[in-house]
Amino acid sequence: MPTVTFELPSLLSIAIGEESEVPVEAETLAEAFEVLVTRRPTLQIHLFDESGDLRPHILCLHNDQNVRWLTGLDVPVAPGDVITIHQAVSGG
Amino acid sequence: MSARVFVGTAKGAFLLTSDHSRQDWTIEGPLFPGWKVTSATRTPRGTFLAGTGSFVYGATLHQSDDLKNWKQIEGGPSYSKESGRAIKEIWTIDATEERTLVGVDEAGLFLGDAEAKSWKPLGGLNDHPTREAWQPGFGGLCAHSIVRDPNNTERLWCGISAVGVFRSDDGGESWRPKNVGIPVILEDKVHKEVGFCVHGLAIDPDDGNMLYRQDHLGMFRSRDAGDTWERNEEGLPSGFGFPIALDRTTRHLFAVPLKSDEYRFPADGHFRVYRSRDRGDTWEPLANGLPSEHCYAGVLRGALAVDHLDPCGVYVGTTSGSVHLSGDGGDSWRTLPCTLPRILCVEAFAD
Repeated sequence: MPTVTFELPSLLSIAIGEESEVPVEAETLAEAFEVLVTRRPTLQIHLFDESGDLRPHILCLHNDQNVRWLTGLDVPVAPGDVITIHQAVSGG
Repeated sequence: MSARVFVGTAKGAFLLTSDHSRQDWTIEGPLFPGWKVTSATRTPRGTFLAGTGSFVYGATLHQSDDLKNWKQIEGGPSYSKESGRAIKEIWTIDATEERTLVGVDEAGLFLGDAEAKSWKPLGGLNDHPTREAWQPGFGGLCAHSIVRDPNNTERLWCGISAVGVFRSDDGGESWRPKNVGIPVILEDKVHKEVGFCVHGLAIDPDDGNMLYRQDHLGMFRSRDAGDTWERNEEGLPSGFGFPIALDRTTRHLFAVPLKSDEYRFPADGHFRVYRSRDRGDTWEPLANGLPSEHCYAGVLRGALAVDHLDPCGVYVGTTSGSVHLSGDGGDSWRTLPCTLPRILCVEAFAD
């Protein structure tokens, strides 16, 4: 099973300490998120809203691709892929 | 004996520590850097709880034994998917030996166990028949105040902006609006019993009938557990303000009136705290040591606290990040040498 790495913003250190990278084994993006919040359950509420959707102001990149441009999270991942979480807030 | 003051701001929390004299203070922080810290309390078991929030990452509860080292609580309060609601902020936390209660935006109450680990919504309030008429105030649609009857564990009150005060007589199962005597601010066509903008609540430590209410449209008192309210503003420059606090030892009340809801800053740029020593009959300005000119900072509803020592310490945090404090019940004041982010909540803990 491929190993992919989540890169997390420093603001989420209140949930998981100083850990900024979390490697997980998964076949798809959806599975990767599932493994992530199982291992780090305090991230669940920060990443997903009450509907179970990725919070609207989170920018999530699968390598260089915005996951919101995908049709869903059932996308295969490959060994070495990086999933990056940013806050999608711009301007003043 | 020590005094600790937990200051929650828009970008983290700060911990102020002093001894009983409350003359010299150390300032530590930021804790939760970058996060809104919206509420805090100490449970009867001696642990501390804090509410944090983020526009991006949501609102969560944290637990600590020393106010410095915090751990996020797994699986905090949450609305169901079916409710269509979201928790945007945790506005208030109330803890007893038996349970934990939080008030949130979007307005609602959640009941947790004493360890604050398992939670359920209080449907009697959250799905109240008047809910369709609930409208947000400037600070959102938030359940921001919880007070308990000192003599009746089944009776408690909740303040919601801009909806009003509700009372439960059965431990939170069912709730009734209690706003008779308060001017309505957002009148609904159907639900006339809501549409009141309570800003702050306080209760007498012995008399569960005696409640105090800083409302959008004035300062009020109830002598009958909230069934009716009477205006008590003698001596106040304005009825508008946000926080109200009560010292358990002296029963002195403290408030920070601002110049009307249009301006929301101290009248004439003169920052003053007001004190009532006669249960709200009259109010006196406290200005000794407070900024006397060019001060246009507001004080939000959670940003006033007393430590209940004798004499009591009084602590005020401003929207400009100043902390004004008194160690002698409000007679004299000093301003700490710091400029913090916008201050959202202040809680004082004496040991």
